[in-house]
Amino acid sequence: MSLIEWRDDFELGIADVDHEHRQLIDLINELHTALAENNSSEQLQDFLGEVYARMAAHFALEERVMRELDYDEYVQHKDDHEQLLDGLRDIMDKYEDEQEYSDAEMASHLNSWFGNHFKSMDARFHQFLEKQGE
Amino acid sequence: MHGVIKKPGRFLFGIGEKILGLAFGSRLNPLHALGSLSFFMFWIVAVSGLYLYIFFDTSINGAYQSIESLTVSQWYLGGVMRSLHRYASDAMVVLVFLHMLREYVYDRYRGARWYSWSTGFPLVWLMYAAGIGGYWLVWDELAQYIATTTAEWFDWLPLYSEPMARNFMSQASIDDRLFSLLVFLHIGVPLFMLLGMWIHIERIANPASNPPRELAWGSLLALIVLSLFKPAVSQPPANLDISVTTLPIDWFYLYFYPLIERWSPGTVWALLLGVSLLLAVLPWLPRKKDPPAARVDLSNCNGCKLCFDDCPYDAVTMVPRTDGLPYTEQALVDPDLCVACGICAGACPTSTPYRRKTALVPGIDMPSLTISSLRDQVLQASAALDGKSRVMVFSCEHGKRVTEAGVDTAVIELPCISALPPSFIDFVLSRGHADGIYLSGCKDGACYHRFGIDWMSERLDRKRDPRLRQRIPRQRIGCNWRRAPDLFYDSAESFRESLAGLESGIGSVELSVHKGLPKDRGEAS
Repeated sequence: MSLIEWRDDFELGIADVDHEHRQLIDLINELHTALAENNSSEQLQDFLGEVYARMAAHFALEERVMRELDYDEYVQHKDDHEQLLDGLRDIMDKYEDEQEYSDAEMASHLNSWFGNHFKSMDARFHQFLEKQGE
Repeated sequence: MHGVIKKPGRFLFGIGEKILGLAFGSRLNPLHALGSLSFFMFWIVAVSGLYLYIFFDTSINGAYQSIESLTVSQWYLGGVMRSLHRYASDAMVVLVFLHMLREYVYDRYRGARWYSWSTGFPLVWLMYAAGIGGYWLVWDELAQYIATTTAEWFDWLPLYSEPMARNFMSQASIDDRLFSLLVFLHIGVPLFMLLGMWIHIERIANPASNPPRELAWGSLLALIVLSLFKPAVSQPPANLDISVTTLPIDWFYLYFYPLIERWSPGTVWALLLGVSLLLAVLPWLPRKKDPPAARVDLSNCNGCKLCFDDCPYDAVTMVPRTDGLPYTEQALVDPDLCVACGICAGACPTSTPYRRKTALVPGIDMPSLTISSLRDQVLQASAALDGKSRVMVFSCEHGKRVTEAGVDTAVIELPCISALPPSFIDFVLSRGHADGIYLSGCKDGACYHRFGIDWMSERLDRKRDPRLRQRIPRQRIGCNWRRAPDLFYDSAESFRESLAGLESGIGSVELSVHKGLPKDRGEAS
């Protein structure tokens, strides 16, 4: 079962950003599936390390696009990205130390984060782009 | 052989920078702004020159008079402009030579940096041509001396069928057209110089063509004060019927003129051309071989531009995507411009040491010190560390060498302090690979790779991407440059002492609470 389903309204119409959103969601779903089969801490760390790098790169690209478009809520959006990365690092350390984790807890972390960011921040950017296109 | 000049040169510049640093601070240290101050002097000369031109009379009899009356009757403006024109030109000579010397002694003129050197030193010729021409225009006894000596000097060259000196035999032998020609040259040469100055900085990123504002205003004010207290004045008017015996000369521009008479025109030509030739080939004596250029890995590059923004040498450009992935751009490295400083790899968001699922290959990497090998070095160094306050030092190879390696101190050398991705700091501290990180860069304001200290300071301050994570306690990071005052420690040892009383623990963000925007704003439909 996928943790996060791609929805058409996630589509921003910016090829690079949409491509990476899909990739990130795929990666998280892959993580979710892999952990269901083998929930070793090592596997989790490997995945989270990958998610962190991809997210950092994705945010850098998305922020660049926002700056180039003079996005009016750039600062808030950028702050949220920074918080997401800090939060992910906290989770990575937490599971490194504890050596065990609850699958459900992890799923809820990931979901609440990406879900929230997509639903609020990225959607606001989406609206901005639509208004610009009008 | 270079060491004979470079070593004492670095020592002397070091002392000078230290003394001026006490008075001006690092940001406003004039020795850190020699190039941009030279540019600034050029602009003062240009503006004051335009003013003088309005009043200048281009005739034999009018030239001297027009300048004299400007100096005397309009001392408060015209006189000041004349003095500024003169003193800023002199200052430019000093600044330009110091700039050249400093780049030379700090070894910043070879390898991929040859271009700035080779486009820089010919400007000295133009500066002199413009400067000496300016003295000529005043048509006083000094101008007369310059005219006759220059004629003698040029007549040595087999250029003219008739000796140029014949023009300056007597008052009757020169005419007004000469002055029109001289004015034309005196404006044309600086225009060429400006073009040359643009070419000189064209191949580097974010060139500092303007000094810090305070420094600029301060220098201008100092020159105005000098102009008011010691105005530039003319010698008695030129009279070709009388030969000049003694006169004070401007040693900034005319130091080699007495030599033309004392030695011979040919010797002076040989000397100047010889020195020029030496300067021209200097970057290849010997050639500096930079390590291999940065390498882009497209499967890890999404075209985010962070490397492009940070490269101090404009070696990274963004070009249309070539691999069919739905990104618009990709980074491209020009190996001729890349000096392998590693700043790009330090800026790449994929340079994170937590990557284990796939090979740790960032979007842009240095073959001479890959991010993956940097992680290996960190892990190795960490394994050997022991003690209560273990410090891992990242040390720029161009800065002060850190020799304190011991059981509780590990030293990892980098080509530039900004070659270190901030995520490595997070990695080392949060995974307990060391208790503190000490960053040892170049001297304040004298970064070998131009922006290494600036970029790293801004990353640590969370003002530049990639930022250091907020969760990292700053007390566990020290550095040897004062640009980041709250992190400054004299040495790794003094930094270690500060670690003793710190509480452990890292992490700042509540795990399960992610604060997005308030719900009433932009909820997805």
